[in-house]
Parts: sequence; C-alpha cells; structure tokens
Amino acid sequence: MRPILECQRLTKKYGSFFALSDLNLSLDRGQIVGLLGPNGSGKTTLIKLANGLLIPTDGHIMINGLAPGPDTKKIVSYLPDRSFFNEHLRVKDMLSYYADFYRNFSTEQAKKMLDALEIDKHSRLSSLSKGTREKVHLVLVMSRDADLYILDEPIGGVDPAARDYILRTILTNYKENATVLISTHLISDIENVLDRVIFLRDGQIALNTSVDEIRTEYGKSVDTLFREVFKC
Amino acid sequence: MLGKLIKYDLKVSSKLFILLHAAYLFVCIISRILYMNKLDFKGPEEPVIISLALFISVLSILMTALMIFTELHIAFRFYRSMFSREGYLSWTLPVSGTQHLWAKIISGYILAAADIILIAVGILILITGRNITSAYSLIADEMTNELGMPLERFALLLFTFCVVSCISTVIMIYFCIVIGQLFPGHRVLCAIAAYFILSTALQVFTLLIMLAFGIFPGHNFFMAKGQTMTEYMTNIFYVSAVLTIIITIVQYVITHYIMNKKINLL
Repeated sequence: MRPILECQRLTKKYGSFFALSDLNLSLDRGQIVGLLGPNGSGKTTLIKLANGLLIPTDGHIMINGLAPGPDTKKIVSYLPDRSFFNEHLRVKDMLSYYADFYRNFSTEQAKKMLDALEIDKHSRLSSLSKGTREKVHLVLVMSRDADLYILDEPIGGVDPAARDYILRTILTNYKENATVLISTHLISDIENVLDRVIFLRDGQIALNTSVDEIRTEYGKSVDTLFREVFKC
Repeated sequence: MLGKLIKYDLKVSSKLFILLHAAYLFVCIISRILYMNKLDFKGPEEPVIISLALFISVLSILMTALMIFTELHIAFRFYRSMFSREGYLSWTLPVSGTQHLWAKIISGYILAAADIILIAVGILILITGRNITSAYSLIADEMTNELGMPLERFALLLFTFCVVSCISTVIMIYFCIVIGQLFPGHRVLCAIAAYFILSTALQVFTLLIMLAFGIFPGHNFFMAKGQTMTEYMTNIFYVSAVLTIIITIVQYVITHYIMNKKINLL
C-alpha cells in the first residue's frame, strides 16, 4: 500500500533560512504519529507543505502518491495552529460549510460531539472563548472520515480536562487505516496515544521511531527522551 | 464547487453592502420627495442653481463614497478569505486555485455591478419627477446636439460601459493583492503600492496612446460641438475599451499563475 505521506528531499527556504532541508520521510497508514521538535524546527512548515499552503523550494511532498491539490485535500483533514473562522458566522453555519465542501463530513457526528461538549450550535463564533473555539475546530476536523488527519497543536489552548476529551475524540474518531499526525509541545499529555514519533531539529529529522522502540531501546518515556535530545 | 464558493462569498459580503445601499436608496427617495419634487424651474434661476449645485455635490460625495466602499469591501474580502487566517480554511478546501479565483471574480463582479446598478437606480429616482422631465424637455434638443445623441442613449451607453468595465476593476484589485502576497513581510503595504504604481503607469500609458492616436484633448476640445464631440467620445471609448481588455487579460494571467503556483501562507 502507498504511504499516506511521503517527502523526498523536501526543502523550504524563507529568504536565506532553511525551515526544512533535504527532508526524507514516509508515513504508513493506520498509526498516530507525534511530530515533535522545539520552536522553529520546521513542524508547522512541514504541515503547511502537506496541506498545499506553502510551495516547496525543492524536493517533493506526496499525499497518497499525489502532490497537494484538490484531490489530496479531499482526504486530508487539517487543524491549523490558529483559528481560521470568519467569526461573524455561527457554529451551525460552519457545520453547513463543512458539509457543503467535504463529502466525508458527518454533520450528525459533529452535532453529537458539540452536544457532548455543551457547545451551543447557534452561538456566534466571536462570542466563544478561545478554548471553546479550538474545540469547535477539532470537532469539525474529526467529524470527517479522512485518510490523514493533520493536527497542529490541537490541545495547546484548552484546559487539562478538555485535553482528555480531545484525545479520546481523536482516538475514537479515526478509522483503522487512517493516519493521525499530531504536532505538539505537550508531549506527556499525548505520548500514551502515540504509535510513532518524529523528532525534528533545524528542518531535519533527528529521530523517527516507534514509541515501543523508545521504551525498549532507550528505556525512557518520549517526554524524557525529548528533553534529553533537545536540551538547551 | 464554484457555485458553493460564490454562495458563501456573497453570504459573508452582502450584509454590509445591502445595508449601505439600502441607506443610499432611502436618501434618494427622501430627497426626491422633500427636495427634487419641490424644485420650481419657472421661478428665479439663481436660488435653484445654487441649491442644485450644493445638492449634486453632496450626492456625488455620497455616490463616490459608496463606490469606494464597494471596491474596498471586495478587496478586504479577497484578502481576508485567501491570505489572512481565513485562508487556512479556503486553501484546504478541495478546490483549485483557478476555481477560487473565478469564484472571487464572479462574486466581486456581482457586488461591483450591483453597486453601479443601484447608484443608477438612485439617480433615476431623483431625476424622473414630472417637474424635472418637463424642464429638461425645454433643453432636450440643445443637449442632443451637444452630445450628438439623445441624453437617454448617452446615459445608457455610459451605464453599460460602467457595468461591463467593473470586471476589470475587480481583476485589478485581485491582481494588486496577489502581487502584495509575494512579499510576505509587507503584504498589505505592497498591495497598496502595487495599486498606486499600476494606476499611475496605466494613466501615463493611456496618455501616450491618446497622444499617439491624436485624440488627446487640445485647446479646441472645449469648442467641440455636435458630431465632433460624438466622434471624440467614440474614439475615447474604443481606445479605453481596447486598452482595458488587454490590461485585464494580462492581469488575469498573472493573478492565475500566482494563485496556482506561488501561494505561501506564512
């Protein structure tokens, strides 16, 4: 089976700064992958390239064997690190928007999740707190039956209780052969759900291994290993 | 997908547009009832001329403000939905850059054309009173001689030209914004700079073309009457139409290229 995400000599430059440099990566289906690294290591750049929000300076990035475009966007569900709403709209407007543009979006599932989180569908997005808006984002993204979920800092702005709900939501809402790529700094919160981790440093891969291997080979948790690898 | 993009774009942009244009039409209706209908062209000329000059000035400012608002509104919507944080949603929809561009061109054109149409409706509301039409009938022949055609026909030509040429205004706005997008550190500033540089360059270029074709208004222009005036207007119309079409096509091609190959949402 084709890898869901593949990078070949992927390079992205901002002026003279290399955000990603000659990066090679292949992600298989059916796993939850943590994309970890310090600030400026290239995590968000890689995510944006996968979503077609940036054009590579050199090399290739493929989603299911295709360059990012309308066909790959049908199977990728993306949660950016910032709010992308037009805040004049209501939550129910966003449900209609997603249902209109994404065939794999389940309005019923989204409504169920909103009810569980006690979010009023008639609320204007501008009236919601930052944390609640993030929850709405996640509900929309996880209510799609996608092949690849890319979540950039999904739990950064919510309280610890909501984090548990969000992680449960991620675990219970993706199908078996889908892949979830999560970028976060809150490693200890998510390491129990991860199958694999990728450490990025200065736009290159510092480590790409399974969580089980880290535990057996290094005898450490992902969080501890991260702190050692990226010690300041 | 194109239809859905246009639907959502208009849904978001139409509220303020409708509100302001409704207010403009309301002002026109009130002005017709309280002012225009009461104008007496048979009485002393001077007070009528002074009050009309004042009224036309105020109304011209209102119409210009409405047109500027519409252009800025189209520009803001395009920038916000494609290149600000809302762009993270727009660019991850299963839609190509070309579809995005056409959706924006069509929705922008609908707003720009609706603006012209509603402004024209406002003018019609103001000038169709019986006192105005009967006063105009006294000078209609003279006016027809001056313009080389009846005023109604001249106004209809001008209106059609304005409605059709809206498309070039919309594409020019988008062109400037995507040029600004190439400079991620100063997107808005570079878009504004692109607009002013382009406008100046186009004016200089048009001037040169007019000089080359010998239709630049000389000292005898203001003496022109009847057929000469019509000929002059027709020449201006053809030259500006051809220039506008060429420039709009070039701007579209560049905008299309950037929207498909140079998008970098930082």
